[in-house]
Amino acid sequence: MFITRFLRLALIAVVYMAATAVIAQTRYIVTNDDIGFPLPNGVSFFSVGANGALTFQEQVNTHSWGINGGYFGANRVVTASDGAQPCVFISQAVSGNIAGVAVNTLSLGGVASGSTTDTGQSNGIGLVVQGGYLYASFTDSNTIGMFSIQGGCSLTFINDTAVIGTNGGGINAMATHGSMMIVTYTDGSMESFSIANGTPVSNGDKQVSTATVKSNDATYPNEIQITADGHYAVFGDTSTSIILEVSDISSGKLSPTKVFGTANGISSSNILLSPDGTVLYVVDTQGDAVSAFAFNKSTGRLSYGCSSGPIRGQSESWSYLAHAALVSHKGNGGGVYVAEFGGTSGIALIHLNVANGTCTLQEDAASPFLDPNSTGLLSIAVATSQ
Amino acid sequence: MRTRSKHGLAVTVMVLVSICGYAQCPDRPASGTVVADAPSIVSQNGTLSTKLTMAQSVDVFGYTHYCYKYAAGNQIVEAPTLRLNPGDTLGLDIVNQNTQQDAGMMKMDMAIAGTPVCGDTGMATVSSTNVHFHGMNVPTTCHQDNVINTLIQPGSPGFQYRIQVPANEPPGLYWYHPHVHGFTEFQVNGGAAGALVVEGMEKYRPEVAGLTERVFVIRQQFLVPWVPGPYQLTINYQVAPLLGTGPIIQMKPGEKQFWRVANATLQDFLQLQFVVNGKGQPMQLIAMDGYPLSQTRLQSTISIPVAGRAEFIVQAPPAGATASFVTGAVDTGPTGNPDFAQTLGAIQLTDNAVSSWHEPSAAAPADASRLKFANLSEQLAITQRKLYFSEEFGGTNGPIQFYITVDGQKQKVFDMNEPPAIVTKVGAVEDWTIENRALETHAFHIHQIHFKLLEVDGKPVTNQDLLDTVEIPYWEGNGHPYHSVKVRMDFRDPTTAGMFVFHCHILLHEDLGMMHKILVQP
Repeated sequence: MFITRFLRLALIAVVYMAATAVIAQTRYIVTNDDIGFPLPNGVSFFSVGANGALTFQEQVNTHSWGINGGYFGANRVVTASDGAQPCVFISQAVSGNIAGVAVNTLSLGGVASGSTTDTGQSNGIGLVVQGGYLYASFTDSNTIGMFSIQGGCSLTFINDTAVIGTNGGGINAMATHGSMMIVTYTDGSMESFSIANGTPVSNGDKQVSTATVKSNDATYPNEIQITADGHYAVFGDTSTSIILEVSDISSGKLSPTKVFGTANGISSSNILLSPDGTVLYVVDTQGDAVSAFAFNKSTGRLSYGCSSGPIRGQSESWSYLAHAALVSHKGNGGGVYVAEFGGTSGIALIHLNVANGTCTLQEDAASPFLDPNSTGLLSIAVATSQ
Repeated sequence: MRTRSKHGLAVTVMVLVSICGYAQCPDRPASGTVVADAPSIVSQNGTLSTKLTMAQSVDVFGYTHYCYKYAAGNQIVEAPTLRLNPGDTLGLDIVNQNTQQDAGMMKMDMAIAGTPVCGDTGMATVSSTNVHFHGMNVPTTCHQDNVINTLIQPGSPGFQYRIQVPANEPPGLYWYHPHVHGFTEFQVNGGAAGALVVEGMEKYRPEVAGLTERVFVIRQQFLVPWVPGPYQLTINYQVAPLLGTGPIIQMKPGEKQFWRVANATLQDFLQLQFVVNGKGQPMQLIAMDGYPLSQTRLQSTISIPVAGRAEFIVQAPPAGATASFVTGAVDTGPTGNPDFAQTLGAIQLTDNAVSSWHEPSAAAPADASRLKFANLSEQLAITQRKLYFSEEFGGTNGPIQFYITVDGQKQKVFDMNEPPAIVTKVGAVEDWTIENRALETHAFHIHQIHFKLLEVDGKPVTNQDLLDTVEIPYWEGNGHPYHSVKVRMDFRDPTTAGMFVFHCHILLHEDLGMMHKILVQP
């Protein structure tokens, strides 16, 4: 009887503790504020409310300098676990380093630099993480720095690898899946690498994208998304309209891309694939809207779905839209947060609704959520405390 | 204190100059002083022969100056106003004393396969130069207004321009500036730009006869000397600060003056106003882009796109009033440069106002129908073309592609070796619709000819002015139509034969390739 009562109490306690732990988790949208000299850069944490509204919580000072801009495709903030806790890593191009911030404590972890020749002061340093490593694209030196993620949200530099596009283009965006890394270059070429052993080794498939060859302008692939099953790589192109490309990578190498697009936009440098792989969010980087494309996971085909209206504040408060982060980690994502680059940077919230096979994208009434710490916001991500 | 600090700065300059070995440009006026007109060089007996030396130096604040030096007696002055009459010959010798830069600097191959070299050979660099006679309706042959093939290298003996001003050239304000592809912005930012006046306005617009004439050249330079943008405006080389004491323009109380204003900025769209006691006054518009209007217009705001000109009459208020010459804010779009409202000059009312130039007294009226392009409205456009501006950004700092494209052709940036994007023939009259599909305002300019503005956004305009530069506002984004203008191009004159260029006159855009060639076949 006593034992039974004890077990019951213990069970209640466990359930209570678990529930408490769940409640204690905080979901954030985090930014790389990318502040340039002389003010110090930092990571701003915005808690996500039940309705998706963002509330600024704190900026963690990283005591370094960013560049207030750069390539749209080079994502300057990523999240990863150091084995014990969630971390946010941001690149800071003027200082030439990468800072780690502990999400649980909102405190600065380590700051690491690449080799003495690794630089990205003109256009930034892009970041991706895979298998306990962080890879940094130094866009001036055209090198991929490889770092090992260590405890305390710190990094240890391992090595760097020089890369270059088919026609001399510099490194632009990166994406990883399993043992594969894909890179786009500013000359319209792309290349995949094996990172099975950590250091990127070319798969020998460097090629100029189909849209670059056939387009009516200087279109070139920019941000990359890879499907969860590793079957397809999707590219958002920098162009004068919305141009998207899909490559079948199921062989472990890039295949020639197929081109999709719509004239309902002025650029498509930034994209984001939904968790279930059914919706591709396309950010009209130079324009003023976000579009949704249906993605067929079996065939790799994209079909235009819908576009939002003009996102509030273009021209008055922001000049470019940039990286996106998902509203929901499930299903079609439910919409996106989008970084607004400008003197008064902010984060837009756009909701996706799908009914009867048609979709709508609607900016939240409370959007945008201002990031007063940034005058050049390009990169955001989702982080969750434990 | 001020004197002492100036002395210290002067020493610094001397040190800098001796270190750099630069050919010194003349000192520029301090802000807060009286605005003076540039000295004039006037044609005599049908000829204006002179020599300008392009030079380069760094001032006490670190600004790199590029200047057209002119020896007026034993005094060296900068960017004189060249005054010619229709039918005159301009003999302009240009000597390039720019400092040869180091071997690691940016270069551009100006040599075009199969075309004759005009002037010097070699790679174009920031120290190379040439001259564009902006707005002049003169041939594109070598030694006239040819910017594609002409190169004047530092240290070379020099180059002789021999411009034959057409007898039917419209009277008005033109300007001259360097036009080496890829490097124009550097030299114009450094101040290399001057006014050129074709005399005789009083024969077409008697309102100006006998008036005091002022020539104001609005230039633009980096706010921080070594940082390309943000910018600040200058008026006749005097900085017009956003805040604080600015230039002083002297007028006699109640006096009417004829103002000729050139927008020689890198990228600023001007919205000129003459404000008296806080209220914009009507200005009597006489000419645009060096072409007299058929009828004058009273306007409280006069818009001048980058590289455009406006000539108008202003009247000073009575003594005791407060007046200023200002430019309004212009929204140039999400990716455009902010053009702020600011004062260009405070009007100082004084009976001692000095004037260096007066328009001639009333003259026998001339027949405006004999001017170039006078009957363009009556001509039938045989060919319709559509062009559009667009931009492609890979990041906030680039790579940025600036395009002007003939509809149906591939969007690409200008290449010196490219074939002409447009081929037409002498005798053609064409209507061009030019759209702006970019998120910033652009300024369309074509060399060698004026065009008639017919429509804006598909609607006929009331004032079909003859222009050489026109503003096309930025696209507001999805759901909005592109802004456009429709203009009539006149290639009837045989002197238009040849290869020349059209481009956006925001100089960074031009340098980065928002430009193409047109070939007018004989």
